[in-house]
Amino acid sequence: MLFNSLSFILFLIIVLAIYYSKILNWTNKKRMLLFSSYVFYGMWNPPLVILLWISTMIDWTAGKHLAVEDNQKKRKMWLLLSMFVNLGFLGFFKYGDFLLENFVLVMNAIGVDFQAKPMDIILPMGISFYTFQTMSYTIDMYKRKTERARTFLDFALYVTFFPQLVAGPIVRAKDLITQFYEEKKATTNQFIWGLFLLTIGLFQKVVMADTLLAGTSDDVFGSAKLLHGVDAWVGTIAFSGQIFFDFAGYSTCAIGIALMLGIILPDNFRYPYASLGFSDLWRRWHISLSSWLRDYLYIPLGGNRHGITRMYAALMITMLLGGLWHGAAWTFMVWGGLHGTYLILERLQRRYLPFEITKWNGMFLAFITFSCVNITWVFFRARTFEKAWDMIKSMFYMQTGGEKILDTFTIIKVSTVIAIMFLCHWFMRNTSMKEVSQKTSPYVLGLVWAIMTFLLIIAQGSGEQFIYFQF
Amino acid sequence: MKLKNSLIIAIVISLLGTVTWELYWRSKGVKPSIDGNDALWAVERAKVDRLSKDDFVIIGSSRVHFDIQLDIWEEKIGNKPIQLAMGGSSPLPVFHDIVHTTNFNGTILVGVTPPLFFSTTFPKADSWKRPQTNVDYFHNRTYAQRLNHQLSIPLQNSFAFISETKGIDGINLKEFISKVKIGTRAEKPREMPPFHDFSTITIDRNVRMKKRMEIDTAYANSVKHVWEFFFKSDGPLPDKKSTMAFFLKDLEKFKEKGGNVILLRCPSSDVFRELEKKITPRDTVWDDLVAKAAVKSYHFEDYPQLQNLDLPEWSHLKAEHADYFTKELIKILKQDNAIPNQ
Repeated sequence: MLFNSLSFILFLIIVLAIYYSKILNWTNKKRMLLFSSYVFYGMWNPPLVILLWISTMIDWTAGKHLAVEDNQKKRKMWLLLSMFVNLGFLGFFKYGDFLLENFVLVMNAIGVDFQAKPMDIILPMGISFYTFQTMSYTIDMYKRKTERARTFLDFALYVTFFPQLVAGPIVRAKDLITQFYEEKKATTNQFIWGLFLLTIGLFQKVVMADTLLAGTSDDVFGSAKLLHGVDAWVGTIAFSGQIFFDFAGYSTCAIGIALMLGIILPDNFRYPYASLGFSDLWRRWHISLSSWLRDYLYIPLGGNRHGITRMYAALMITMLLGGLWHGAAWTFMVWGGLHGTYLILERLQRRYLPFEITKWNGMFLAFITFSCVNITWVFFRARTFEKAWDMIKSMFYMQTGGEKILDTFTIIKVSTVIAIMFLCHWFMRNTSMKEVSQKTSPYVLGLVWAIMTFLLIIAQGSGEQFIYFQF
Repeated sequence: MKLKNSLIIAIVISLLGTVTWELYWRSKGVKPSIDGNDALWAVERAKVDRLSKDDFVIIGSSRVHFDIQLDIWEEKIGNKPIQLAMGGSSPLPVFHDIVHTTNFNGTILVGVTPPLFFSTTFPKADSWKRPQTNVDYFHNRTYAQRLNHQLSIPLQNSFAFISETKGIDGINLKEFISKVKIGTRAEKPREMPPFHDFSTITIDRNVRMKKRMEIDTAYANSVKHVWEFFFKSDGPLPDKKSTMAFFLKDLEKFKEKGGNVILLRCPSSDVFRELEKKITPRDTVWDDLVAKAAVKSYHFEDYPQLQNLDLPEWSHLKAEHADYFTKELIKILKQDNAIPNQ
């Protein structure tokens, strides 16, 4: 079920009505939330709910044994079982065809005549999110960093909680399960603020991403022609804005919906396009994934504890796998590799060419960071290396005579939207929406809310899927 | 924070804005209407699985969609046929789907618009991709998509501003913005003239030509300009060999299942008719198809009562003549014992 759909509006109204009615006690409300979460997921493809059940059962069992087992070997075995099942699901459903395709390529390269039909496996929606979330539970249990979930119901709801089930934020057990122990009820202000966040999230997705930017990005990246530099840049920044509004929009909706139920989810985006460098970027973009990768990959790989070379290697491996997490294609690896390179170069700069960031050079630095990030988006969005390379050539004027496919109004529209987005991120980088809202007159806030709602209604939207669902 | 105040203001202003927007479009003559989208098509396609031997399914392109009126058919025959025709498309992917994925063994009325029927079997060609997209949507639609469609119908029937119409008649925000043009930067060799939506569709996918096409010559001419644009395009020539082979193979299988097929060539006129005579001459295309298919076939040229009908843009019948055409066609089919149990 998509947040930007009529069925979800109906679903949410029913869930909220039951949740706030007095007919159920807290345990039954949690059961209702769990059942609703399965309905939410099953409305897309019912049989794939079974994967959620298996993941839940395995990790609940592993967690139960990890909580009481003292034998280190047996503890490791339970952890490995959890990782084997979760990564196995991910490997089979997400990377099966990719691995097969590359195996065939390697065989052919070494002279073995081997062909294989693609398996055409359906990718379960949100599998990368919920597998990472449940794995964090068993890893934390193994490291004794978190307590075992008190009941199976609490754990199952943690794995399946519908607001963040299919595209995050990826929430740690200690941050979410504990919230299920006591009855939760949003205050009036929390409920209205949650509704406001839901409106902003939908506005970002439907109006900003789908209505204003997606078409330009699709036209440019879908074109088979060599493009003029302006067209390549405008298509790239359009995608840059589209993916931000799409994904941040989903996260904002998720946070808002959970808040309407009295559950608090962590921020997933903090104005990332005003980042001062790439370490800052990864503290602001998809925060729940970057902190997951830091805690469960970068640090176990050695982090910065074993010298510079090992640190750079750990950084690069983390970013390459982070790229691969997004999709089963080499272009995503390149995207991750570029970010790894940026992070390494940034650390080298800090070591050998340190400078102070002031309010004068800050905006320039943010703009440079944003521009470099845009280059990585080319590899993220392009379906093939050929297309990505053509785009890079056009963007840096390495070829002449590229075709102009975008009209003047589209260029003005996209440039204006992206410039406003960049400035908003810059002015908001050290504050939050809540702080700004508190300082704003309720009448102005109401007016802004009304404008967003009105634009959302007249945009209608055709129920475009969120980009991150495919990851 | 006084969020309650903000919420009340937001509700009041957005409601006022929406009502104003609705009234604005109604004042421009826009009426609430259903979108003829893939979800609507899929609902009708799903019904095919439950049909009996006596039932009819109509496939083809826009011509058979405009020209056969379902209510008239139901009145004269008793059963309303399932309308699966769609504009600008080859009937072959839909026929293939019905033959291979259903147990239907009733009658399929195939509307033959020669430039589309014989266009191609290339999956990426528009005339193939369009119906195939609907077929794929039907097979892959989720329960959420089905529910979304059901929930959207009362809204579409109530509000004029809710519309998926694209192009010059599009009124949602995306289409509204896309109409803004500044300068001529983009290098487009030829731009298609504005294409008005000249039909209305009902919940059973019955299509009728808008009255405006009969009374507003400029409006009708704008559609003719679009046809002329396509006539002058350097598109590929019809691929009679592969399309015929594809159809005949599926036809054979459908006959083996006990199914019945009727071929129908609906009227066209003037420039459109001349073009069809040039690129898909009757003797080499239609007559050959009829001979090889060995099924009941009806060409409008062969029936005096189907001559001299009014086609405001050369390709589709105006609404009243579509009613007449349907009645006359049913008489012909009955006389020819082409309708089971009649």
